[in-house]
Amino acid sequence: MTTPARCPQPIAFADVVDYWAGDLTSVEEDRIEEHVFTCAECARELAAAQALGSGIVSVAREGRLHSVVTDAILNRLAADGVRIRTFTLEGSAVVPCAVWADDDLVVSRIRGDFDEADSVTIVAAHLRKLPATRVSVTVTAQIGSDERTIAEYTLEHAGTFSRLAGEH
Amino acid sequence: VRLYGLKHLRDEAAADDLVQQVLLTTIERLRAGEVRNPDEIGSFILGTSRMLADSTSRKARRREKLTAQFHVQELYADPVVASSDVEVVERCLHRLGERDRRVLVLTFYVEKTSSEIARELGVTGTVIRVARHRALERLRECVGLQRARTA
Repeated sequence: MTTPARCPQPIAFADVVDYWAGDLTSVEEDRIEEHVFTCAECARELAAAQALGSGIVSVAREGRLHSVVTDAILNRLAADGVRIRTFTLEGSAVVPCAVWADDDLVVSRIRGDFDEADSVTIVAAHLRKLPATRVSVTVTAQIGSDERTIAEYTLEHAGTFSRLAGEH
Repeated sequence: VRLYGLKHLRDEAAADDLVQQVLLTTIERLRAGEVRNPDEIGSFILGTSRMLADSTSRKARRREKLTAQFHVQELYADPVVASSDVEVVERCLHRLGERDRRVLVLTFYVEKTSSEIARELGVTGTVIRVARHRALERLRECVGLQRARTA
């Protein structure tokens, strides 16, 4: 059995990632492509970046992101046909909500004044897995050296529903 | 060739077609004795890939223009990733910090460059590139994707 030849000038994984993400100049892209087409070791690094990127795309498209999402992400999801249900949470108001079985993604928009905070932490629940219950969303903020709760929101969650056959 | 196609055409089926076209062209040229130096086969394949991918991109742009003009609904194919793989990536993705996760999603799903993400998150492009690289390294380690090299 022969051992594949080691690459004498391996391309760093960081450069491979920048290449895949479109962050290199055309001259740098050409240099990487010319190398990868003659180097199996660096081609495997590129394949790894592609596989990870492809996995991230699948997680996002299937609505499996349980985290803060930006408008750019939501717009892309909507363009890809992901069914998104959105609830807007206002401070001190109780917002009624429910999840349908065919919803791909549930998004909670939180309104509040977070200007003073250096960073905020949002503690929320995964709605789809919950029965009918009252759900609290707590926002804590780091203001200087203090960490304190600056907002609490409440969702009156009615559970997850299935549509009747033939209903749209 | 497939990776080149995925990078430049952003479409699984188009990348697979490119592989077929490049292989056929290469075999034809080899049979015709037009590739005299075997050491240059890599450059020949890259050149062929660039030429055919450019042609495919031009066709795709024309199709997009026509689609926009006549309002034909575009179809997209799901990426070929096994559901078990998606579950592993999902689990590992959620082990990352909030910002790192967002950077990866904006990069690979929304297809934003580091400078575009930097503007959105209020940091520099260099910060995003470093964060993205480290996050992807951690994701790679977590999903158990082996390295081609050890150092």
